[in-house]
Amino acid sequence: MKKYLNIFKATLINELQYVSDIVLGFLSFLIKIFIFLQLWNYLYDDPSSLIAGFSKDQMIWYVIMTEMIWYSTRNKTLVNQVTDDIKSGGIAYTLNKPYSYLIYIITKNFGEISIKFIIYMILAIVTGFIFVGPIDFNIINLPFIIIVFLLSFIINAIIRLIISMLSFYIEDSTPFHWLYDKMIIVLGIIFPIEVFPLFLQPILKFTPIYVITYGPAKLVIDFCINSFITIIIVQIIYLIITSILLTLMYRKGVRKLNVNGG
Amino acid sequence: MLMEAKKEFKFILLSIKYNLAREMTNKATFLTNIIFMILNNAAFLVEWIIFFSIKDNIGGYVLKDVILLWALASGTYAICFIFFGAVQELPNLIMNGKIDSFLVQPKNVLISILISKTKVSAIGDLIYSYILLLIYGISFKNFLLFTLFIIIGGIITTAIATIFGSLAFYITKADTIAGNIMSTMLNFGTYPDGIFKGAIRILFYTIAPISFAIYMPLHIIKEFNIVNLLIVIGYTILIVSIAFLIFYKGLKKYSSGNLMSARV
Repeated sequence: MKKYLNIFKATLINELQYVSDIVLGFLSFLIKIFIFLQLWNYLYDDPSSLIAGFSKDQMIWYVIMTEMIWYSTRNKTLVNQVTDDIKSGGIAYTLNKPYSYLIYIITKNFGEISIKFIIYMILAIVTGFIFVGPIDFNIINLPFIIIVFLLSFIINAIIRLIISMLSFYIEDSTPFHWLYDKMIIVLGIIFPIEVFPLFLQPILKFTPIYVITYGPAKLVIDFCINSFITIIIVQIIYLIITSILLTLMYRKGVRKLNVNGG
Repeated sequence: MLMEAKKEFKFILLSIKYNLAREMTNKATFLTNIIFMILNNAAFLVEWIIFFSIKDNIGGYVLKDVILLWALASGTYAICFIFFGAVQELPNLIMNGKIDSFLVQPKNVLISILISKTKVSAIGDLIYSYILLLIYGISFKNFLLFTLFIIIGGIITTAIATIFGSLAFYITKADTIAGNIMSTMLNFGTYPDGIFKGAIRILFYTIAPISFAIYMPLHIIKEFNIVNLLIVIGYTILIVSIAFLIFYKGLKKYSSGNLMSARV
């Protein structure tokens, strides 16, 4: 466990050198939020009206939260590094190392996104206060929300790795990452599940959107203990299933690995 | 002059042909990239169907107009990255002193750099843009105008990316700045201009000229206006000239990274 902690610390220290890049990258997040602010301003004719049970302020805060999760967890390690390691055969060098490649990548990913998430969180909250103003938020709920956010990040990392594992079979898994990106963006970031047609809502609750973006964001804007319990149960189920799937895919993948020369 | 332009055009086409041949060495990956990019883009139709279920007119656009908007945006992006795919890498090439191999070629340096890479997925964007045009309603006039405008839009996008990418001759964060400008153009360009009010619209005519690349072409296709068409063409000539000027001015400050490399 200590070795993974050291990997985490080393990556974290390394990332601290790129704080200015992260802040500059925030500009594109700000642009997205600005666009949605304009869009929702247009859709809410009357600012006091509700769309799918959400007030205008809640809707914009929801988008700020989901975008924050999305932008701060986007990481090249889970996509490019793993794909390159598999394509180049470099993954073979990690097989005899005294650590698990999968846990190494997840730890490295967390080291990289931690600073990014903290900066994005601060900037996103400031953006929300400037554009919308404060929302009804009780600080007592914070520990529950932190757990849900943490699980959301872990599940997202595992799903990303599962997709990257496809490189064992099709060489380049990037197009599958695009589809995953779009599923999360279109179904999980722009709108809360309640905005979708009634027949789609139960289906969407079984998708990763529910545990990665919708769940955490919904708890921030409208916390309810029953929602928390439901979300955490679904997250644990997701965590177990995706972990098993990832382990199986990795084991099967490295068995069929072909390395030419070196 | 005309012969020179013809030679450059032939050179661009030849370079794209070799880029594509290189990418096609793995046919499965090549096709997956194209097909998945089409599917990836199609996901945004869902977004707009939901928006239009809330309100049937958004910023003066109905669903059909948004389809045309998306067709223009993807087509513009496609032309930029099929023909000038290395434009995104320009700041890094400059910062890392990697443009030596282009300097010794008996061709235009900037064009040689820009056409040195083709983004395969952009072919998916191009196919998707024409599928959307088909859904919007295709006619001979629409087809010609649309094709002209995606070429113009692609050139404008490349010119803007070149201008901001050339900042790398002077500052170190040029890649992030150029990336943000490209993302601004791409993000704003897929939403109706009618929802944006006030000072932000100045941005559309200056730093991120989406009005010339997307919005004005869209309105011209909907309702032909020769004056606006000439304005768009005039702007394109102006911005391309500025891009060349800034790049070559910056090139005088370029210092090699002494990196041994060869282009094959």
